[in-house]
Parts: sequence; structure tokens; C-alpha cells
Amino acid sequence: MDATPTIIDSRGSACPGPITDLAMAYRRAKVGDVLELWATDPGVKADVRAWAAKTQNELISLDEQPAKIVARLRILRR
Amino acid sequence: MTSIGAEPAIVARSDRTTDKLAIVMFGGTADKFIPLGVIAQAAAAMGSEVNVFVTGFALLGFTKTHHELPFPTEFAAMAPALAEGMIKTKVAPWDTMLRTARTLGAKVYACSMMSAVMGLAKDDFNDLIDDVVGAATFLATADDGQILFV
Repeated sequence: MDATPTIIDSRGSACPGPITDLAMAYRRAKVGDVLELWATDPGVKADVRAWAAKTQNELISLDEQPAKIVARLRILRR
Repeated sequence: MTSIGAEPAIVARSDRTTDKLAIVMFGGTADKFIPLGVIAQAAAAMGSEVNVFVTGFALLGFTKTHHELPFPTEFAAMAPALAEGMIKTKVAPWDTMLRTARTLGAKVYACSMMSAVMGLAKDDFNDLIDDVVGAATFLATADDGQILFV
């Protein structure tokens, strides 16, 4: 059962804003937390994969909705 | 709509979770400050240790006394459109991006030799500068990480 996700609303923010908002939330997160990033910058799709690979956290889903891109990440390490 | 299941175009080359990026900020024209802000902020967000070494005319972007940073002559005509585009796209100003990078742990150093040449003391720099150091100190800090020259 996933923890209730922490929403990070980066809609309207240009690169590297969304990934920075994610990094800021990551600093406050604990192992097991689920972060949900909302963004409109199309670069976030590749960036969130790169961020998860680099920081060794799990990208649970990456969903391109009509009005926003939603990335869900599970924090595996701090 | 693009396929979200596709592999990313660029795959991270390394599986290291911490690494070092040193940026030598040498160019003093306004256009070069934008990639400085973007790369420093993005690298800090990716968990890299970021050290910026400011030298040459780039030091004028870090003084308490405001200096209008010039655009390179060949791009000067496009500067107003660039500024307008950045506001429209909500791209943060370069100094805001560098400030964010510092919040995430980035350090920014001014070159002691060029500071002396330009008559700038530590007190003349704004709060973006962590310290005034020599090239050897910076290179020792950069260690075996990547170095970008901007």
C-alpha cells in the first residue's frame, strides 16, 4: 500500500524548475514516501527518469494527461 | 501525444549517486550567465556537488555595485526578444537559479587573482560569492570531477 503522495505542483515552471522542486521535496522526504510531481514543461519526462536513475529512487509512473504531466516517485534512499 | 513508455533519448551515463561538477565561469556576456544558472541549478537538483569558480569579466556579474552585463555584438539585436521570451516562458533570472543551486548546496568562488587585477575585494562581492580563492584551491575542490568552462 502506497503512502499518500506528497503533491509537488510545478505547473507553469520552466526547466530546470520542476526537477528542482522535486529535489527540494526530496530533501524533506523520508524513505518510503511517495512524491507526485505535476509539471507542464515537456522536458520533465526525460528529466524525471534521469533524476530517479541518478538518485536511485523509483519512478512508479509517468502519466501524460491533457493538462499536465504527472510523475510518481517512491523514495528508496536518502 | 508522445509515447510516455518510450526510453529516454538520453540515458544517464553513470550510476553514481553523488559526483562533482565544477563550472569555470569566465565569459562576461549576459548570454553566458543563463547556462551557468541552468546547469548549476540542475546539477545541484540531481544531487551533484557543484562548485563554481568565477573569473575574468564574469566577476562583474557578482559585485554589489550593479554592472549591466553586455550581450555579444552578434546577438545584441536579439536580446530584447530573448528577454521577452524568458519572461513569457517564466524562466527564472540567472542569479535566482544560482541562488537556488546554492540552497541545494552549490558553492560559488571568486578568483583571487582576477579580483585583485580588477580591484575587487571580498567586500565588493554580493551574497552569491561564498569566498575568494586561488586557482589551486579551486582545482583541489574540483578534484576528479567534471569541469565545464563557460
